[in-house]
Amino acid sequence: MTATSHIDQQETARPAAWDWLRETFFASRLHAAMSLAGAILIVAIGWQLLDWAVVNAVFSSAGGPEACREASGACWAIIDARWRLILFGLYPHELHWRSATACIVIVAVAIASCMPVFWRAARLAALWIAGMASFYILMRGGLFGLVPVSEAKWGGLSLTVFIFSAGVLVGMPLAIVFALMRRSELPVIARTMSLVIDAVRSLPLVTILFTAAVVLPFVLPGWLQGDKLYRVIFGFALFFAAYQAEIIRGGIQAIPPGQDEAAKALGLSYWHRVSRIMLPQAFRNALPPTISQFVITFKETSLVIIVGFFEVMASGNAAYGTGDWRFAYIEVYVFIALIYFTFAFSLSRYGAYLERVMRVGKN
Amino acid sequence: MTTHPADTAVRLESVNKYYGTYHALRNVDLTVAKGERIVVCGPSGSGKSTMIRCLNRLEEHQSGTITVLGTELNDDISNIEEIRREVGMVFQTFNLFPHLTVLENLTLAPMLVRKASRAEAEEAAMAYLTRVKIPEQAEKFPGELSGGQQQRVAIARALCMKPEIMLFDEPTSALDPEMIAEVLDVMVGLARDGMTMICVTHEMGFAREVADRVVFMADGEIVEEAPPSTFFTSPGNDRTKRFLSQILAH
Repeated sequence: MTATSHIDQQETARPAAWDWLRETFFASRLHAAMSLAGAILIVAIGWQLLDWAVVNAVFSSAGGPEACREASGACWAIIDARWRLILFGLYPHELHWRSATACIVIVAVAIASCMPVFWRAARLAALWIAGMASFYILMRGGLFGLVPVSEAKWGGLSLTVFIFSAGVLVGMPLAIVFALMRRSELPVIARTMSLVIDAVRSLPLVTILFTAAVVLPFVLPGWLQGDKLYRVIFGFALFFAAYQAEIIRGGIQAIPPGQDEAAKALGLSYWHRVSRIMLPQAFRNALPPTISQFVITFKETSLVIIVGFFEVMASGNAAYGTGDWRFAYIEVYVFIALIYFTFAFSLSRYGAYLERVMRVGKN
Repeated sequence: MTTHPADTAVRLESVNKYYGTYHALRNVDLTVAKGERIVVCGPSGSGKSTMIRCLNRLEEHQSGTITVLGTELNDDISNIEEIRREVGMVFQTFNLFPHLTVLENLTLAPMLVRKASRAEAEEAAMAYLTRVKIPEQAEKFPGELSGGQQQRVAIARALCMKPEIMLFDEPTSALDPEMIAEVLDVMVGLARDGMTMICVTHEMGFAREVADRVVFMADGEIVEEAPPSTFFTSPGNDRTKRFLSQILAH
């Protein structure tokens, strides 16, 4: 007893960080060797990366592609030369400010809707209707003296952000309706809905987008077709809704049956029980998978490339694909990856914040 | 006992209820007058909870008639919410809404169902919270309260709808022993104020103190129905005697 306490005293006398290091990485000879090898590997890779990305890299496009060919490092010059193409696609050059403003508006609206002040159905709806309307007017033009730009010319980051937010905005209410119908007490409705959900989930997103863009015009009457962009967004929304509906249903099923009984006993109507008791708790329960679904959906917007849209990924392909800069595709993809990362990572962090605020996992 | 229809809160006539092939209620007859306090007891699985859950149609019966405040509960009923708002219910597991504060739990239904203004609803809610002796917990979430406090909030929540009848479904069974008294105190207070109460409970002290009648159920039937004085001292049925000897032995 006295011996152990003596040792304890000696242990605490040393710096804690040193103890932690020794115990974690150098507990035995094998551990020490592996730790050392790992450290050497990390340093080597880190140095290589730094060498490529910074030390020997070319940052300015002043020297043209030739300057890059001579340098051994990364050719960031292509980003300098072609960033407008990547961010704005085919949108007319002199109107890029409109595309940029439109993109900022949507991102600002998204950030604003993360603030608890706006967490009222009416406020959120007003915010998003105003945001989407400003986006449309800025991008499409034809109003307030803005030069019209057809949807076919929209592109780059604004298009990505628009397809994502419009898809989720249409898809989320659809998902709620799907989930409620799937839980309907009438077997006809419940079975039909589960068939629809399963059918949509069995199809690859590419097929749905292709159908929306290319096949639907043959089937739908002219007045119902709308622009290809809106058909594709609807396809996106449908795909999102099928998955999100199941996530919401899972969230609903995790609610103890006593909740609905208590709400019934108080005389609450079906819609009040759904909107005040069931859905708020279902969304809390289903928050982690919902955030995942958002992140997945954001990244899947790049698939619209196959139906001929120049969202940020397709614009990136175009940026290096024109001969002179053909060799610099890695740099372009790194840049695009950083853009995706910024959005997806922010979404995830916001999800983590929400979990704290909404006290997920507590009663 | 016969009462004038207008004074009748609840009337069950040869009510039968099945879960699949399981016969949960067998020809149950019961009449409760306004202002009466009924305690329902019996072994588990005897149909006590099923019976009171039929009174606000959380469960549907298959035959017989149930009349609550003059309205018959059947498949034709267009607006069950109108009956439910007059019939408060307190559950064994409290069933407070965990995503709302205590105050919001209390004001939700009065605002949505009774169309009360926020100010009115909050004033009433604070009055009832004071009555159940926890006004200081108004801004907390249910998960931050003890079981006894949660059950008192649940009682206050039901009272905020100003119901004519209160149903209690084993309100103290999920509580730690030291919290049972605080909930029973609230219930005794309510009984003294003349509330019509139907309580499923094994708290025989409570039954002795406030019940007008004790109803004993077994196997889905009402076996015995008597004022507490007779019920506890000279029960007529053998099953009642056995049940009483079991629960009063401790």
